[in-house]
Amino acid sequence: MSEPPKEPVKYVEANVRLPYHYVAGDYRARYLRALKDKKILGSKCSKTGKVFVPPLVASPESFAPAEDLVEVADRGVMTTFCIVRIPVIGRNVELPYVAASVALDGADISIFALIQECKPEDVRMGMRVEAVWKPDGERQGDHEDILYFRPTGEPDVPPASFLNRL
Amino acid sequence: MAKLRNVAVVAFSQAPIVARDEHRIASEILYPEVRSALDQCDVERAAIDYQVAGSADYIDGRPFGFVAALDVMGSWPAKQDLHLEMDAAFAAYYAWVRMQAGDCDTALVCGYGKNSEGEPERVLNLELDPYYQAPLGLGPSATAALQASAYMARTGATDRDLAEVAARNRAAGAKNPCAQLREAVPAGTLAATPWVVEPLRRGYLPPYGDSAVCLVLAAEGKAERMCDRPAWIHGVDQRIEMQTLGARDLSRSAGAQLAAEKALAMAGLGSGREVDVVEFCATTPAEELILREALGIEAGDSAVVNPSGGPLCGHPLMMTGLIRLGEAFRQLSGRAGAHAVPNVGRAIAHAAQGHCLQQNLFFVLGRERRWT
Amino acid sequence: MKRPVAVVGVGQTQHASRRSDLSIPGLVREAVDRALADAGLDYGDIDAVVMGKAPDQLEGVMQPEQFLAGALGAHLKPLIRVHTAGSVGASTALAAVTHVASGLFDRVLTVAWEKQSEGNAMWALSPNLPFTPPLVAGAGGFFAPYCRAYMARTGCPPHIGPMVAANARANGGRNEYAHLREPMTVEDVLQSPVLWDPIRYLETCPSSDGACALVVASEEQAKKGPRKPAWVKAGYSYAEAMWVPGRDQVSPQAGRLCAQKVYEKAGIKDPWKEIQTVEMYVPFAWFEPMWLENLGFCDTGEGWKIVERGEQKMGAHLPVNPSGGVLCTNPIGASGMLRLGEAALQVMGRAGEHQVEGVHNALGHAYGGGAQYFAIWLVSDAL
Repeated sequence: MSEPPKEPVKYVEANVRLPYHYVAGDYRARYLRALKDKKILGSKCSKTGKVFVPPLVASPESFAPAEDLVEVADRGVMTTFCIVRIPVIGRNVELPYVAASVALDGADISIFALIQECKPEDVRMGMRVEAVWKPDGERQGDHEDILYFRPTGEPDVPPASFLNRL
Repeated sequence: MAKLRNVAVVAFSQAPIVARDEHRIASEILYPEVRSALDQCDVERAAIDYQVAGSADYIDGRPFGFVAALDVMGSWPAKQDLHLEMDAAFAAYYAWVRMQAGDCDTALVCGYGKNSEGEPERVLNLELDPYYQAPLGLGPSATAALQASAYMARTGATDRDLAEVAARNRAAGAKNPCAQLREAVPAGTLAATPWVVEPLRRGYLPPYGDSAVCLVLAAEGKAERMCDRPAWIHGVDQRIEMQTLGARDLSRSAGAQLAAEKALAMAGLGSGREVDVVEFCATTPAEELILREALGIEAGDSAVVNPSGGPLCGHPLMMTGLIRLGEAFRQLSGRAGAHAVPNVGRAIAHAAQGHCLQQNLFFVLGRERRWT
Repeated sequence: MKRPVAVVGVGQTQHASRRSDLSIPGLVREAVDRALADAGLDYGDIDAVVMGKAPDQLEGVMQPEQFLAGALGAHLKPLIRVHTAGSVGASTALAAVTHVASGLFDRVLTVAWEKQSEGNAMWALSPNLPFTPPLVAGAGGFFAPYCRAYMARTGCPPHIGPMVAANARANGGRNEYAHLREPMTVEDVLQSPVLWDPIRYLETCPSSDGACALVVASEEQAKKGPRKPAWVKAGYSYAEAMWVPGRDQVSPQAGRLCAQKVYEKAGIKDPWKEIQTVEMYVPFAWFEPMWLENLGFCDTGEGWKIVERGEQKMGAHLPVNPSGGVLCTNPIGASGMLRLGEAALQVMGRAGEHQVEGVHNALGHAYGGGAQYFAIWLVSDAL
């Protein structure tokens, strides 16, 4: 038995380690598997026809089911962005980097994506971007199959056409 | 007793409880139940003026896990909303309070969460105070065992008594298509299952599973149009006790007794015996025996306890209590199918959460309105 | 609301980056004891307890209201625990108001807190969704693109954020409970590093330990004193779905609808004229002009001009966050209740050094999630 502490105990340290095994759900799983074939899937609202990427089982807008999966383009427009200067846990990206909302052609909501091959100060809202995929044979059917998005060089898109697709 | 607003349960939809849903994430399990509940009362989402949900971030395994449910609850246009980090039964409780305040006439109450993705036995250890009790490594089975042990010491209840309570629940669950365990098992077999934490055997502990539920509440004036046989709420009360395990008499539930007393008084009933069905949120047979005592019903009484099979046949954690309310509705409104109890005029639904029945909620319901 | 409800007591802790002098129950009690003393009540007088806080992962304790029940004086009383992300402190206060409005409870204690120094707040706030690429660290990374969108939409110039931040800090200097109180200039802010462009370090809220407690009560109780109460004329909490095509994340619908409903119920026709001060949830400076618009104090595109003209400073037309707001103090779970509580203090005439002159109506506001949850109340000095 060791000596009692001279000072009152001030801190109790507890390390919480909890394992979680998540299920992707069939929709997300199909979306991820399709990435292996360089396909980006969305789900289509049965009432309005709007497309959600990644696929959602129901439209949050119409409340109707969105069961049909459709393919959208792997390019689109950057609707807004920020330049990140603090490191994110779980990823090795050189700082600073651009994180952007990208509205893919054919999709009615945006995805959040990493932008590279572009100096942060050159990035603009309305820029056209395209996915850069992992090479054939290296893609696994997970979200790392898309390495990042880069500018396509096409002319910028006018604000009116994307400010409602933030 | 002041005259209150008559509020009824008018719809209830539940995803059958499974050990692990391999195909859907929590919000995807919830969506069809919300649609089904609305279909049951034949209304559009826009007709419901309040929504409230219950779930827990630690069950979801991530902070803000509940936010995803907004997208499948019809939260567009924006809705008046609340989320409780509690069993969804307490969400129903809050919706009822809100109706008493006159601030809504209808409410959508949702419970969701996939227990299969984490390990509840380890996660629920974190409910205990982080200074003295959590470091002991107690999970819900251990604390429930402490309570069972205390109860058996005071009353002389035996292992066989626990086995019989468990067997009755299992037999009932066999008739409930929503239960996870749907096989009747004789008391003798349950009494031969290995100890998990003595005096609780494997057969006396609930299976944790995945489900999602949606229940609709409506006030008088709307309820009658939404359901042919609404289950009217006659009395409600809930009480929490302090958590410290050594500071309360674990062989009893003082909080359940007080909540039951108050709910019965509001309902104008003298005792828990005056109802036909009781659904207890009892995760072990000892909890059921303690709750029976708190409610004042004994083995020989006419009330049928847990015709749904109770949590021993399926325990999706953050909605197990709401399911008890839903089951009471099913019994009162003639929607309990194969596990229906005949001629149910009054029912009690109980919800509990926290270790050793720390917090208890009672609803007393009936076929007729309470206040005229 | 079936019957009037008033705030009869307000209490808060000394907010700091780390309250290592207190355990979690100690922190919560500091606020609760003060609120009860303020109300002239004791634990035994309370009929129900409504507690709120943000994700439990921030402290590593699941459903801590369970272990706090004794410390909260909730033994054998009704208790509920609210969690609506960043807006939680406010939606918790509103749930307590509903309890009293129902006629079933006369005196309700409500408390919201966070002791986030005890966990890893940055980790807890980074959206680590499974099967989704991790992209940004912290809440700022999520909101920065929308601040940029606001600037693009309205032509808001780059010095507005720094003006908001410097002003908030000046206000915090007049609030004895605030976490950050040291003055800073617009230049100081402009010199600080950019974290997620356009948000700079000195435009972000701190991470704080703190708690806020209120006692809300019936008219009968409020009229007993000892203090002049703050009457809750209206209070609502709204939420909206995330993935709605075209959803406006710069001026969310849920915020606009919530504010409109509050004004309608409270009989406010012109917020800019009829409300004398507003405590709004501004965790990143750019939200101040955004919320001025979302809350209907001005038209779209005019919010930043109010800041530029200094009309939201102390002594000007509509002082915003006289307490210093979230930019000076951010125990996440408590922040929403601090906004509502500070609004109450203003109409009660008890905001001390940060009291705004002649307040009859004050607005308290909070938001949370991906700008999805909004909880707002309007309090008045008259019923």
